[in-house]
Amino acid sequence: MATEVRLPELGEGVTEGELVKWLVKPGDSVKTDQAIAEIMTDKATVEVPSPTSGVVKELKFKVGEVIKVENVLITLDSVGTSALAPAAKAPAPQAAAAKTPAAPQPAAAQPKTQATSTTTNGSGTLFVKLPELGEGVAEGELVKWLVKPGDAVKVDQSVAEIMTDKATVEVPSTMAGTVTELMFKVGEVVKVENVLLKLSGSGGTAQAAPIQTPVTSKPAPPVQNAPKMQQPAGATAAGPVMYPPVADFKVLATPSTRRLAREMNVDLNSMSGSGLAGRVTRDDVMKSKPQSAAPQPAAGTPAPSTGSQTSHAPGMQIPKPGYQSPAGAAEERVPLIGVRKKIAENLQKAKQIIPHFTLMDEADVTQLVGFRESMKQATEKSGVKVTYLPFVMKALIATIREFPMLNASIDDAAGEIVYKKYFNLGFAADTPNGLLVPVIKSADQKSILDLSKEIVDLSTRAREGKLKLDEMRNATITITNIGSVGGTYATPVINHPEVAILGMYKISDKLVLEEGGKVGVRKVMNFTITCDHRLIDGAVAARVLKAFINRIQNPGVLMLDMH
Amino acid sequence: MQNFDIVVIGSGPGGYVAAIRAAQLGFKTAVIEKEALGGVCLNVGCIPSKAMITAGHHWHRAHHEFKTMGFNIKSIELDFKKLLEWKNSVSSKMSSGVAQLLKGNQITVIKGEASFKNSKELTVNGEAIQAKNFIVATGSRPIEIPGFKFDEKDILSSTGALALDHVPKRVVAIGGGYIGLEISSYLKKFGSEVTVVEAQGTLLSGVVDPECAQVVSRKLEKNGVKLVLNAKAKGQKKTNDGYDVTVEINGKEEVLKADKIIVTVGRRPNGDQMNLKAAGILVDERGFVKVDAQRRTNVPHIFAIGDICGQPMLAHKASHEGVLVAEVIKGHNRVYDAKTVPAVVFTDPEIASAGLMESEARAKGFNDLLIAKFPFAANGRAVSMQETEGFVKMIADKKTHILLGVHIVGPEASNIISEAVLAIEMGARLEDVALTIHPHPTLGETMMEAAEATLGHAIHIIQRPLSTNGKNAHP
Repeated sequence: MATEVRLPELGEGVTEGELVKWLVKPGDSVKTDQAIAEIMTDKATVEVPSPTSGVVKELKFKVGEVIKVENVLITLDSVGTSALAPAAKAPAPQAAAAKTPAAPQPAAAQPKTQATSTTTNGSGTLFVKLPELGEGVAEGELVKWLVKPGDAVKVDQSVAEIMTDKATVEVPSTMAGTVTELMFKVGEVVKVENVLLKLSGSGGTAQAAPIQTPVTSKPAPPVQNAPKMQQPAGATAAGPVMYPPVADFKVLATPSTRRLAREMNVDLNSMSGSGLAGRVTRDDVMKSKPQSAAPQPAAGTPAPSTGSQTSHAPGMQIPKPGYQSPAGAAEERVPLIGVRKKIAENLQKAKQIIPHFTLMDEADVTQLVGFRESMKQATEKSGVKVTYLPFVMKALIATIREFPMLNASIDDAAGEIVYKKYFNLGFAADTPNGLLVPVIKSADQKSILDLSKEIVDLSTRAREGKLKLDEMRNATITITNIGSVGGTYATPVINHPEVAILGMYKISDKLVLEEGGKVGVRKVMNFTITCDHRLIDGAVAARVLKAFINRIQNPGVLMLDMH
Repeated sequence: MQNFDIVVIGSGPGGYVAAIRAAQLGFKTAVIEKEALGGVCLNVGCIPSKAMITAGHHWHRAHHEFKTMGFNIKSIELDFKKLLEWKNSVSSKMSSGVAQLLKGNQITVIKGEASFKNSKELTVNGEAIQAKNFIVATGSRPIEIPGFKFDEKDILSSTGALALDHVPKRVVAIGGGYIGLEISSYLKKFGSEVTVVEAQGTLLSGVVDPECAQVVSRKLEKNGVKLVLNAKAKGQKKTNDGYDVTVEINGKEEVLKADKIIVTVGRRPNGDQMNLKAAGILVDERGFVKVDAQRRTNVPHIFAIGDICGQPMLAHKASHEGVLVAEVIKGHNRVYDAKTVPAVVFTDPEIASAGLMESEARAKGFNDLLIAKFPFAANGRAVSMQETEGFVKMIADKKTHILLGVHIVGPEASNIISEAVLAIEMGARLEDVALTIHPHPTLGETMMEAAEATLGHAIHIIQRPLSTNGKNAHP
């Protein structure tokens, strides 16, 4: 006698699944509760157990096909031995439980039937959300789960470690229950008010039989940490969306002001407007969020949520204030175009994105001066003027080999640090058109003489405006040499997306106290290293400058690293 | 198998607008339509009914009002077939306009009926279509009542009524809502004997300002439409002489004679179609798809807009939601936060409203109200158009003078109301409207005058001062 095995209910709201794999084939004998197929639903892949024993006669579907609940999966020939009531209908399955590697604890099987349901009858599912983590902290990275599905959780028990920009905190549960589902993986970014995990209601020991209530309209049950944001009905792990409460009819704000408030995450309902008859003005909304210094323009700005931001780093909307001429006749206006415009854009971008800091120190270059003098004859013969710049380049390359974070970039869009294994040195060139930065590619593989030749060539052509675009691209770090003009120290601007710029200044004679109390004259030269503080700490910069100076002061040491 | 970023189901004023915005935002978009592009609105709703109403209006004026202007027209003939042709051409012009827009925006149009297979896939004509996001915009359909099954020959829904190829002799319209009244009005003008059967004690009850409804009621009766109020339609029977429609009035049964029966008791959302369950979409007991303020269903990547996601079932609300949803999918921070959805009834005269009715304002806690009306009879343009029935009624908060509601019954109410919508959205006070210079001579002046009237000092009507010292309390 043949028995039909049907696809059982796979969970609330799941009406079908895709056949991933058969675990049996015709002719196999199957025991009761033996898994016969893997079915993938939108929520999980589950193994479907046979409700009865027998010999597989026919598989009714092919892998990849979609099977509806109650469709006949396979037919079994009953084996003569146990002719006891071949149940035609499958009992409730273990659904998601089947695949969890955990040993089949008797109690564990049942609660897990609920793992896929988001709303339940009675006490139902509880949602533990990520609470406010502190002023201005909107999200954090999940570092570690402190609980796992099946664990009983008490109120205030820590359930996860979340790392914010400021600290790593343990997040307590606001309620008690049994963990049914963890909504994020370690390493994922969780936003405040996102559902962290789901609990089955208190007293959540095995319910006699999971009642298959049809999913009705109940949205998420209330949560203690009264959410200031509203959570849409469908917010699940797939991508919860937050928005401030919709303004009540009584709120007096124009549609554009309401949009601005939404974009700035301001709840208009709780605001008292400064305008006539309590009208909430744009200014009111702006002022209510002092910490967000640069509000984005109203129209069409993407929500600063989803990780899908591209190219632009945060805060790239640069204001364009006008200039009111106080004395028009005594002023001249020329268009800001060409190289100057490009310089303006680049430097503004760099300052906008990079938190700069500059460290300054003085190097005793007496030896280097002598060293260079000693080479003079040889170099003049080859017709190349060797300046101090190639030596500085060599010392810098050797130093950043030691400190690779200086030869790096930050990919803001991807949230990654890019370490570069090549050394393209930019050097600032003063030209009639303004500042240009020619680049010596693979400077680490070139000799002092080669570097000197290239410096002369590039800077000549820079002054003549004959540099190719490619010759000003892809520097990994830049050197500025305004010391040749004057000044003791400067605070240069980093050439974004690089993360550091080295400044070198003029050589001067300095009286120093030598050993033994004698007064001597030394050649000294000032250096600055300006760094992107996002990537480079002050102490690192200090070590970098120290290592650099050690090399530039001792041409012998410098030689050691030369290629 | 076709694959899209966004698939919109339904090409009505919600769906096609959503699709166009989606395409503008760079999504690979498709629209599925089982009937004609533009949906009910363009094909069997708003647009063709307006064509018929306009025709009826001209016909009526030609007979009753031209004489006063000195037009002595000996005879006018009605070529109803020609009229029908024109009406259809209006719809098809609009519908092909939608087709062009969709094409111009590189949107794939798929003809057929969609059925969800799961939350990521649906089938149309047996073909599988997958998308990252779906927008359900499949609207609503006329409600059928027991005993009056639509045959669209004699027992008609609004669709059948609009398709009539002749002027029926006797019409019984069941349902005194806006659709029934719009159709009844023009059929009456073309010569039908029309009886409107309404279950409530007034027409348009609960939908529009009662005083506005009253004006329309009176005009209908003046034009010869028979109103049977507090009446329930029990059933109908075919006789040698058309139909006997049985209605129950205060427990007593009465029989109305009809050649055509039009049933317009409302519309129901199409939440029972498309196998929404397979996608896991929650639908409430009335058939509405449940959505949040971003019009997102319980399935995060599926949205619903227009009639299917809730009241009011109005095309312009659907369009607004269409734009909204496309932008939400793009990641913009948008929610549905309009203060008011204007409503327009194209009766004779038209009714249009924005904001709160008096009862709604009180329910929201506005206890002290300023309410006044300004009649079209005192407006030069209305008089010169020979259309002086009706008024603009304003409701404002007494303390702050903030405009809460505007209710217009009268000529071009449908066009005038937009100013009121803007005023309410902007949080305007009565003074803002009153101090804005309105061009003369226009119907729009009635807005300014109504604001003045509400403040107690309209120029073109005699008003007693509101307060004894003749000043108005400014907040």
